[in-house]
Amino acid sequence: MIDQLQVVILGATLGGVYALMAAGLTLIFGVMRIVNIAHAAFIVLAAYLSFWAFTLYHIDPIASIAIVMPILFGLGAAAYRLLFARIADSRRHSEMTVLLTFALALVIEGVTGFLFTGVFRTTTPDYASDSFELGPFYVPKGQLYATALSLVLLGALLGFLRLTRTGRAIRATMQNRAAAQLVGVNVRRISTLTFGIGTALAGASGALLSFLFPFFPAKHWQWIASLLALIVLGGMGSLLGTFVGAMLLSIASAVVNDRYGPTWSPATFFLALFVILLVRPHGLFGKKAEL
Amino acid sequence: MTLLEVDQVSAGYPGGPNILDGVSLAVERGQTCCVIGPNGAGKSTLLKTICGLLRPRTGAIVFRGEPISQLRPDQILGLGISFVPQDRSLFPDMTVLDNLKMGGYTLRDRKKLAERIAAVCAMFPVLEERRAQRARTLSGGQQQMLAMARALLLDPEVILLDEPSIGLAPQIVQQVFEAVARLRAAGKTIVMVEQNARKGLECADRGCVLDLGKTRLEGPAASLLADPQIEQLYLGKRRGPGPAGSAPGARAEPPA
Repeated sequence: MIDQLQVVILGATLGGVYALMAAGLTLIFGVMRIVNIAHAAFIVLAAYLSFWAFTLYHIDPIASIAIVMPILFGLGAAAYRLLFARIADSRRHSEMTVLLTFALALVIEGVTGFLFTGVFRTTTPDYASDSFELGPFYVPKGQLYATALSLVLLGALLGFLRLTRTGRAIRATMQNRAAAQLVGVNVRRISTLTFGIGTALAGASGALLSFLFPFFPAKHWQWIASLLALIVLGGMGSLLGTFVGAMLLSIASAVVNDRYGPTWSPATFFLALFVILLVRPHGLFGKKAEL
Repeated sequence: MTLLEVDQVSAGYPGGPNILDGVSLAVERGQTCCVIGPNGAGKSTLLKTICGLLRPRTGAIVFRGEPISQLRPDQILGLGISFVPQDRSLFPDMTVLDNLKMGGYTLRDRKKLAERIAAVCAMFPVLEERRAQRARTLSGGQQQMLAMARALLLDPEVILLDEPSIGLAPQIVQQVFEAVARLRAAGKTIVMVEQNARKGLECADRGCVLDLGKTRLEGPAASLLADPQIEQLYLGKRRGPGPAGSAPGARAEPPA
């Protein structure tokens, strides 16, 4: 019993990070209907920036979020303006954006491979290899800090979306793009901003990942596959669904890892996805088109 | 004085043929004009062209004496023309209050926004009761009220209503036309497209018959309602002894 609970604790303390990784993907899909296959490549790029800051300037990976997020915001906003804005009204929008984001992922992988080589890297702050003891349980400090910080960032995102005028405009554009235009929202500006915010969130999660998992330039393929499974599970475009999906899958994959070994753990995401789509084709929190 | 004038406008969807083919319409300040006509006549297209979602290919649209045909939708909104589309275009997962706030998105002054929300809620009390409810949970009639209220938020001079009664139960249709009457009483200039031609004309000052992208007839709503041929062609129902060959639904040329 204690062992099983321990496994759940380990899964749950990673869930917040998964949720943060997927939140940007959900936001970008929600506003622009772009499935950003390059999202995990941005995460790995951010992990390298943190690694750089840590190795060269001894900046703590958590503190490096303050540097990484603005850089990734700029990269995301620029990528949107240069690549995606011009095809926003295209009839082949979905096909073209899938190809474009795929190509973007390859380019980022190439650049990180060129700059940092293919060697496995990780940042090693003290807390990465330390843990809290709570009675019979232990909680790795790195995971706990990372998930706590992820929850803070997700809370800030939610507050921004709910309480500010710009946040309201982002939600409105997610729910009904044509209506948003009708009430005077500059949808192009909102899209650029959202792509920037989504990529900045990828940046924050990359900084956290840098001390949780070893990474190398091509690692993003594995991540993006899991993240896509996760957001489809949560119902594309729903932040709450993303969060619940992340928690469920993170715990499920920890349990599978414990029972059947690490080889099966990544497959959990896809098995769970098949099952959910059989039972609820719109995902856990997805909605049919309406109004 | 003519507030809004559509002059020989032709327009259509990108890459498609002309849906409007030389439509003209003049609306006086404070008047309600009801546009009727069969399906595919271009009624909705006319409203979309006025509010800037489509650009006229030829002809001009003049508002307060200034041409507006080349302006963007948000600029036209800023001048005081609001559009309530047929699908109502609400934000389904936002609350009634947030939907109203979005209606005033271009107002940066929070105090002014709160005043305007209070003003439209006074006009549609049901929205005040349901302000915390999500738009998707409202009934069809309430959603239509919300769409109208949202369009009123910027206190526009002209309101374009696209089929406000569509898809609603008969009792609710009555409530919607009462809401239109309230807008009229508030001095708004209204251009309304309506399938329910009789009801639409009954609450309008002027009527306009559109068919195959052309204005067939324009005149006081009361005289359109009284015209036996219009009645047969567009108002349906009463099948009195009419001229041969102009049975309901027949494509006879109405009197011009």
